Amino acid sequence: MEKTKDLRFYLAFLVLFAVLLPLGNLTGLVSNNTISLWGRYFCFAIAALGVDLIWGYTGILSMCQAFFFCLGGYSVAMHIVMKGASANGTGIPDFMVWNQVNSLPFFWVPFQSFGLALILGLLIPAAFAFVFGYFIFRSRIKGVYMAIITQALALAMWLLFLRNETMLGGTNGLTDFKSLLGLSLSSPAVKLGLYLISLAGLCGAYFLSKKLVDSKFGKVLQAIRDSESRTSYTAYRVLDYKLAIFIAGALLAAFAGMLYAPQTGIITPGRMDVRASVEMVMWVALGGRGKLKGAVLGALVVNFLYSICTSLFPDSWLFILGFLFVITVLYFDKGFLGMIEKISGGIGKRKSSIKEVAEQQVV
Amino acid sequence: MNCIIKMWLGICLCLIIGKHASAQSDSTSILIGHILYPPGDSARSTALQKLVSRGEPATFPFLAAINDKKIFLLDGQPVTTGLPQQAADGSEVFEVFLLYPKSVPVLNSDGIPKLLPVSSLEQISISRSDRLLMIPILPFLNLANPDPKKRIIAYGQLLNSADSSKISVLSGALNLEKDKEALTAGKEILFQLELEQAKSETVAKAYIDSLDSNWGENVTLILKNYATSGKLEGAKKYAAEKVTDLEGLQGRIQKAQNLFSGISLGSILILIALGLAIVYGLAGIINMAHGEFLMIGAYTTFCVQKLFIDILGIKSDLFFFVSLPVSFLIAGVFGLILEKLVIRHLYSRPLESLLATWGVSLIMVQLARSIFGDLTAVKAPSFLAGGYQVMPHLILPYNRLFIIGLTIIVVSLTYLMLYRSRLGIQIRAVTQNRSMSACLGVETRKVDAITFFLGSGLAGLAGCAMTLIGNVVPDMGQTYIVDSFLVVVTGGVGKIAGAILSGLGIGFLTKVLESFYEAVYGKVLILALIVIFLQFKPRGLFPDKGRIAED
Repeated sequence: MEKTKDLRFYLAFLVLFAVLLPLGNLTGLVSNNTISLWGRYFCFAIAALGVDLIWGYTGILSMCQAFFFCLGGYSVAMHIVMKGASANGTGIPDFMVWNQVNSLPFFWVPFQSFGLALILGLLIPAAFAFVFGYFIFRSRIKGVYMAIITQALALAMWLLFLRNETMLGGTNGLTDFKSLLGLSLSSPAVKLGLYLISLAGLCGAYFLSKKLVDSKFGKVLQAIRDSESRTSYTAYRVLDYKLAIFIAGALLAAFAGMLYAPQTGIITPGRMDVRASVEMVMWVALGGRGKLKGAVLGALVVNFLYSICTSLFPDSWLFILGFLFVITVLYFDKGFLGMIEKISGGIGKRKSSIKEVAEQQVV
Repeated sequence: MNCIIKMWLGICLCLIIGKHASAQSDSTSILIGHILYPPGDSARSTALQKLVSRGEPATFPFLAAINDKKIFLLDGQPVTTGLPQQAADGSEVFEVFLLYPKSVPVLNSDGIPKLLPVSSLEQISISRSDRLLMIPILPFLNLANPDPKKRIIAYGQLLNSADSSKISVLSGALNLEKDKEALTAGKEILFQLELEQAKSETVAKAYIDSLDSNWGENVTLILKNYATSGKLEGAKKYAAEKVTDLEGLQGRIQKAQNLFSGISLGSILILIALGLAIVYGLAGIINMAHGEFLMIGAYTTFCVQKLFIDILGIKSDLFFFVSLPVSFLIAGVFGLILEKLVIRHLYSRPLESLLATWGVSLIMVQLARSIFGDLTAVKAPSFLAGGYQVMPHLILPYNRLFIIGLTIIVVSLTYLMLYRSRLGIQIRAVTQNRSMSACLGVETRKVDAITFFLGSGLAGLAGCAMTLIGNVVPDMGQTYIVDSFLVVVTGGVGKIAGAILSGLGIGFLTKVLESFYEAVYGKVLILALIVIFLQFKPRGLFPDKGRIAED
């Protein structure tokens, strides 16, 4: 029963996003803008999956996912900017020339190659998550403490990226993306291609995460969420599990960021401030934590709402988001998904009870 | 015939202007007369040239007025205009200054400076070619500027210009100097020029000593320059010694200044973290909207100021003393409302409370932005302007001293409340064991509400104090919230002593690290230090002992 329902759900999702929207775009019914917008939403959804793995399944509230997201985004952006600079003949990105930097900083050099940029875009966040996570989990910092420390990390890194002398574009970030692997980023075909890659990435991330949480490993994670001390008493090395899932979450976020950067054409430190991280957590909370579907649903719905609201009534988006936060936390503990299940469950119950009554009458 | 009239006019002016002047400046006043009423075609240029070559500081205001094209005649005397002011009917009027022999405001019969519109003054236009004659003296003109800050800049511009002719002008200007700071700055330049000119070692050493005892802004730089490029070997060595002494002293002063700003930042953090720590300890609530109560306190101060000045018309510093308790109350009431509406449902669910209060903070920031706009500022009360000068170059600003004092008072009161009152013992009981306290008849809900009121009120008080050192902006709370959470985490949950100690520690470390590195790297280092600290003390400075510590 549950499985067929799931299957129907996946099928509907794929028909809508993998068939209808691209077809609409090719026939001109759906604008390029919409396509690239949804492509970005899929990236957010991938990052939300990471948050859900860490928070929803393991109970670690990490407030620095946006930082990992940006690490991925910056690595791809750096590659694109480097390519643009070498096409100009200078070999040094414009913003550095404006800052009177004459030689390329050493950490920019590897990003000349696309393969290395991809590897580093995943490796750096993973290494970061490993080192930071190791020290935090080792001292058994958890719950609120973890949330605050990761928040402070996000703040510190945001401040660091804002500086000009870190050679990452400062407040303006990296922008002016021309082409990736020789393909012009402004052409509709490339946009559609990136959209499809993001969709495929989301599906891949979803099924991998699904496999993960359904495995024994995933069960241990949920055991840690429900009672960390009991799990450790039963001889599981909690530190290893937490560290592994923290790195997995960071990787998912970085992967999402790598897909995100070429689609928006700009990446700035504004994407990684504390608020961005808390918003990622909020997508999951609103969608329904502890359910992978909930994370995806939350990320898509909230961002879709965001684009609608900011164009209709620009000043009130923060009010709407704030009220959504409060009401969800207070009344819909399980998010949209919980709400949907409650409603459909209620209808189902009523149907069955009607059936019973009808049967009784027949008898 | 014509010539005689002009002569007569000149003598008249000489009588008007030069009433108090000596014989030497009598001729100066004649020259000024020539400039105002030129007796011949080239008389104005000649007179101007003579005045310029004399370089008398007393004539500088007059020459500066010519240079600024703001020279007028009032009752036959040369005057210039000051800053524009609004007259009662809305038109623009100016304060008027006499130029020679002394630069003083023109007073009316009541002894109040006269305010006149430009139209009532007769402008004297002096040709561009004549004004160009003043080029050699232009750097000196500001030495007679009525604004001491401008004079200090003017003195500074003479630095490193080895030109003996400047010495006499400079010393003349310094004889007229009244302002203490400007005098120090001017003397420094004078001594530097004299030092460059000095022929014998004893003279040079004497000037080095004078520079040292004068202790101006650039003294180290000057002595360093002399130590490398001076002409007299012995004096060079002497200068080098002085530089090491001065640098040592300046290092110590810098340390003292860092210590002070660290304590002041720490006390702000303590004010914010105190409420946070109590509330978290009591109810397990992470209140992300705590920073917004700070913002409410600041805006309350702003409103009280508006009320006093715009509506009641009281232009005194009274408003600040009124706004201290008012901002406590208003922020507290907002906290109470938040507690009733949201927090009440989230007790002992810290992560959920964190998200819900984050939502609340978004709403509050946006609300403040739509009501008050993006930037408002409270004018700090005048009695808190300036600072207490411990020694030259070490000034402790009064507003920061006030904040430190306020923090000491608030912390003591909170301590008394928590450890010496009935309410305090109830709060501590609920913090330790909620259900047991409820069993023993403590009304936990009421205690929660009161605690939340107090915690938010403390943040409001902090906000009121913050208006002294910064602007009032809608997201001012968010600047400090992460830092103050770090204070709570480092100090140990719900511990006043912990909050105080770690607040001071973090404030102090931040300032010290900032003085070594950029502010940002300081912040990164602080975070690293806290993570390392938590390796050894995972539950903060003052962890709970015994069974309470278990999950």
